[in-house]
Amino acid sequence: MTLFDLLAFMPLVILATGAILCLLAGAVRPGGYLYELAIVVVAASMLWSLALPADGMLPGISVTPYARFCALFLDLAGITGLLLAAGYNRCRGIVGEEYPATLLFALVGMGAACAATDLLILFLGLEAFTFAFYILVAIERGSERGGEAGMKYLLNGTLSAAILAMGIALVYCSRGTLQLAELAAQGRGAGHLYLAGLSLILLGLAFKLSLVPAHLWTADVYQGAPAPVTALLSTASKGASLAALLLLMPLVTGWPGSHAILWWLALLSMLCGNLAALVQSSIKRMLAWSSVAQMGYVGLALTAAPAGGLRAAAFYVVIYAAAGLATFGAVAVLSDQGERDGIDAYRGLGYANPLAGAALAVGLFSLAGIPPAAGLMGKFAVFAAALRGGETALAVVGILTALVSVFYYLRVVVALYMRPAEGECRESHSLAISEVIALAAPTLVTLFLGVYPSPLLDLLARLIS
Amino acid sequence: MIPNSLPILTILVFLPLACCLLLLPAWKRPRLAFSLALASMLLELALTVGLFASWKGLAAVQTALPGFLLLEDRSWIEAFGIRYTLGLDGISLLMVMLTAFSFCVAILVSWRAIKERAVLFLVLLLAMETGIMGVFLSLDLALFYLFWEVMLIPMFFLIGVWGHGRRIYSTIKFFLFTLFGSLLMLLAIIALHLFHAQQTGVVTFALHALLKTTLAPHTQLWLYAAFFLAFAIKFPLFPVHTWLPDAHTDAPTAGSVILAGLLLKTGSYGLIRFGYPLFPQAAHILTPLFYTLALIGIIYASLVAFAQEDMKRLIAYSSIGHMGFVAIGIAAWQPVALSGSIIQMANHGVTTGALFCLVGMLDERAHTREIAAFGGLWGKTPLWSFFFLFFSLASVGLPGLNNFVGEFLILAGTMKSSPLVAALAFGGIVLTLIYMVRLVQEVCFQEERQPLELTDLVPRELCLLALVALLNLWMGVHPAPLLDLIRTPVRLLIGGGP
Repeated sequence: MTLFDLLAFMPLVILATGAILCLLAGAVRPGGYLYELAIVVVAASMLWSLALPADGMLPGISVTPYARFCALFLDLAGITGLLLAAGYNRCRGIVGEEYPATLLFALVGMGAACAATDLLILFLGLEAFTFAFYILVAIERGSERGGEAGMKYLLNGTLSAAILAMGIALVYCSRGTLQLAELAAQGRGAGHLYLAGLSLILLGLAFKLSLVPAHLWTADVYQGAPAPVTALLSTASKGASLAALLLLMPLVTGWPGSHAILWWLALLSMLCGNLAALVQSSIKRMLAWSSVAQMGYVGLALTAAPAGGLRAAAFYVVIYAAAGLATFGAVAVLSDQGERDGIDAYRGLGYANPLAGAALAVGLFSLAGIPPAAGLMGKFAVFAAALRGGETALAVVGILTALVSVFYYLRVVVALYMRPAEGECRESHSLAISEVIALAAPTLVTLFLGVYPSPLLDLLARLIS
Repeated sequence: MIPNSLPILTILVFLPLACCLLLLPAWKRPRLAFSLALASMLLELALTVGLFASWKGLAAVQTALPGFLLLEDRSWIEAFGIRYTLGLDGISLLMVMLTAFSFCVAILVSWRAIKERAVLFLVLLLAMETGIMGVFLSLDLALFYLFWEVMLIPMFFLIGVWGHGRRIYSTIKFFLFTLFGSLLMLLAIIALHLFHAQQTGVVTFALHALLKTTLAPHTQLWLYAAFFLAFAIKFPLFPVHTWLPDAHTDAPTAGSVILAGLLLKTGSYGLIRFGYPLFPQAAHILTPLFYTLALIGIIYASLVAFAQEDMKRLIAYSSIGHMGFVAIGIAAWQPVALSGSIIQMANHGVTTGALFCLVGMLDERAHTREIAAFGGLWGKTPLWSFFFLFFSLASVGLPGLNNFVGEFLILAGTMKSSPLVAALAFGGIVLTLIYMVRLVQEVCFQEERQPLELTDLVPRELCLLALVALLNLWMGVHPAPLLDLIRTPVRLLIGGGP
């Protein structure tokens, strides 16, 4: 370990220090400019990794261009989450330093997970940010739903952590190492113990990505958590988990049997997610099921890993995250004192609050895969990879379930713009500048990637070989 | 002459979209916004007419692809092999003119009708024009697909926000039907480019490269089926036509004009430009099916039209019948019939667009479209009735008016290869005559059934209809310039070229 290596890890260090600073500042001046401080910290961390693009290696963790890209992406999502939460939390009396501090801790965990070169660090990173989310989900103390959601997430989460740990232990037993590179180099000669371990690891990650059948927590937690937290849970948390899974993919693809597992995960997620989303009347539950389905498309890309599926999966997740932040951000902004949860409650809001309405509509069109929103480009990448990999049947199922999904996304758009507001039009509060940024940025990114995705594609092509 | 250095096709596609930005400062002033939007649409029309006036000069200059007057090609998404390729040949030029013209009609007919959220309406209309222009000009399959889907969102809102009746049901039905076909087409497009990449090692979506792909008969059939389904839904052919009557009936007048005038044409255009040339053997195998569906469409739509109570719905069904003729002309895949189909696409757009305008104008005054509510309009609103009679006669194919030319060419061309089909289709014309004459007779000449206070056309409407009528007459009496325009592209298409 040299000084140079340490420099490369400064972004993580900045985030962790910032988190502690937030806690201290909160103790000194409760209710001060804590969100602003947290945003500055994240921005500083991003600036560092952009301005000093140094690669570094420590035991078990190494900062590579791939890790830096993932961290930047997650930091951007984190900033959006902070911007959204500032107004939302103040409105609900969630004051105090714990929210920004916990979020910063979560970002540290995510950053570590994407930079891991060792199963143990990978596990620690994943569990660190999941742990932060246990707190964030239940941060609204008075809320019954929040408490219930936090409990459900905690119970399911610890189970998955146990499964993941067991898997890692089994892999270690059979191979005697935790180094990802060494494990991948040992290749095929797979003992039963090793395969069992690998399957357990996959199952644990399927929980984080809420792939069917490990998805059962998703709807309840998404609905119960405060909207800005759900926004992060569905984007940053999924992104970090996928980034970790991509690190593991050399191991997974080394075992031909994994293809069948991924195949079934993708198929079931696309089917269950899209069909269950059809019948939801709560927008957050609907989006939760839709995120199950969207992860199914990611799974579809992963089944075609040898045919460039990994790149497609990463590309898809970035686009999905932009759309998810726009939609959940709009839900957060449009919620008054209570949550605006029923789809019917969104009637006529497209006119009452044009920016939030537009962000929601663009996000939904992106999720549905209708251009000019970026979703189509993501679907294009995924289906091209799937067909190249010979997954014709799965691709056809995917495209037909995508058609089903359009129906439930449209229902919200119809409510926003085509149904008159019921009773007196409840004028939603005018937007703060932070909310305007938090809504406009992901919306514009979604539109930009929809017409010009080349820069991102080229970048991903360089990062993921 | 237009200098070739200007990216004219790009301007043609994106001028309307650029104008949307111009409308933003006029957000609170709908009248100003209407004028601005109309100005940009007229500019667009002038541009296309300018291209038409100079097409012979352009044809003299050889472009990279035979038959194309203008080409633009830029790199766009290299990672996917997608390029930004636009090309204009005679067929596209005709369709582009029709597009620019129909949008002028659509905005003029909405001049007073759209009162709420007028600027949003205009923005969507302009975005729609960009999408449709793009569809008619794209020569890269992925780009084509992008424009093909971009058209959906504005139309979804046009019907859903400004429509009547069961507008939400209709607009969702429209959206899901069209999307169903196009999503499968997306898979087929991807598969086709993968086959091409396998054979040549070049990853591309360019139409002219993909034309050279050799496909196993079995594969070709599957891929063609996906394309065919997407185009058949837009067309619309018989079993997948059910979205059309709902969407047309519940759309605002401008929406109906664009649906009938342009969206249906994107289906037939797609089949001519992409479906047949890319999969010639498969298309040949499925020709009997295509004929059958088109004939059923003509006869079934005519019978259903006869039973309609709502004028707009009746005209919507007549659209299905007319597009059936276009389908027959394409299925024959023979120069005369294909020229007829292409001309008929333009004719139908003009005529049916005008009929929808007329019904919309009547609806604005009487607030009903029930045939049974009217009668004796010839005496009350003579100008309106005159134009209604005029366009109805055009619609049934009166010689001297435009539809006659198209139908005649289609039947003449089809007669050679499949006389039975031509004979049955001719029967369809007779059926059209029956229901259109009944419509005119009931609305214009019967005894007055309800005392309605109706005012006749105002000057704006009069000018609009008079212009359309003159155009109609010109296309009927002197179609030679248009036929000249499409002669070379049709020859190249039939010859297996682009």
